[in-house]
Amino acid sequence: MLSALGNPRQAAAQVLNFALVLSTAFMMWKGLSVVADSPSPIVVVLSGSMEPAFQRGDLLFLWNRNLLQETAVGEVVVYNVKEKDIPIVHRVVRKFGTGDEAKLLTKGDNNQADDTELYARGQDFLERKDIIGSVVAYMPFVGYVTIMLSEHPWLKTVMLGIMGLFAILQRE
Amino acid sequence: MAANKVSLANLADLKNASDDAIANYLNSLSFQQSHTMTDVRLAIGYGAFVIAAAAGGWDYYYGFENTKLYTAVAVAVYSLLQGALAFWISFVEQGTVYQGQAPNSGQKISIASFNAKKTEPLYRLKVTTQPAASEGKPETIELERSFTEWFDESGLFVAAPFQRFLASSIPVVGRADPKRVKSESRDLLEGDSDLLDAVMSAEAETTGTDKKSGGKKRKV
Repeated sequence: MLSALGNPRQAAAQVLNFALVLSTAFMMWKGLSVVADSPSPIVVVLSGSMEPAFQRGDLLFLWNRNLLQETAVGEVVVYNVKEKDIPIVHRVVRKFGTGDEAKLLTKGDNNQADDTELYARGQDFLERKDIIGSVVAYMPFVGYVTIMLSEHPWLKTVMLGIMGLFAILQRE
Repeated sequence: MAANKVSLANLADLKNASDDAIANYLNSLSFQQSHTMTDVRLAIGYGAFVIAAAAGGWDYYYGFENTKLYTAVAVAVYSLLQGALAFWISFVEQGTVYQGQAPNSGQKISIASFNAKKTEPLYRLKVTTQPAASEGKPETIELERSFTEWFDESGLFVAAPFQRFLASSIPVVGRADPKRVKSESRDLLEGDSDLLDAVMSAEAETTGTDKKSGGKKRKV
């Protein structure tokens, strides 16, 4: 098995197998991004602000194209606050105007107050371009793995290391 | 080669170790190995990987919104390349593990090896030879032998019986390595006069003590 490393072509082929697993997973993610028109078409719920609809650790599937109708009041949307990278999952509760310039106000189902305080300084409403997608489906619990990986980053390295070792040592 | 023990219960490992041994053996007989198939596979594969890496790069540096179109194109091209790779492996390579040219006659040889059936530990090969002159027709030989012939009880690979198997079953190899041709391959020898000549001259050189008529059968 490891003696294959003496033969450069075989070593290259084994490395390629591992590299293709990674790149195929990545390209599937990017493909989904492009189809859903969202930079992050699958997100994990991080807080309990949308209970009882969504719990911490739920996996949400997003769709960012308004094919049939515009983003309306009552839709659960995901947006990033300007300059912050944390996606927030809340419901649209007010809409003023129509089209891309419409002003949207969001609020978490489980929160007392609406999101005005969460928006950037000087920003009172969201616009359509701030939203990275509306929730169209969800899977409970599955996202907890991501939460664990982000709270214990060394887990990522361990997982990748084990995957890599298996792929290179096996030749099936 | 003999330094690595192969797990006797793992058919895939047995097959892979045997496949590697073919290349070692034939190259040691001065066969010229052709790496074209492997190179094409590596080219398609790494090409796809490079595209994926590029997509990751521009997405990281310029963000999703700005590079959406490039990413869409990259995903499409990547899918095409993956499809091409799958096609290449299934329909063109078809299990080929060695391609090369014989040292003296220039005959082309291509050896494909297939996964053993789950219930039998048999090494299955399909050897295609073609004379160097372009008007020769390709000939195919299908071989099936138990791994027990060249792996001992502890999983070590034993080269001599493996080489005898190849030299006795494939005329081109037998011509290049006449000492390994078992004299019990009568049909093969009678059908191929060049091979018969080569074997006779090799046998004439030896004192005759290593000519075994039955072969040493290892009971497993």
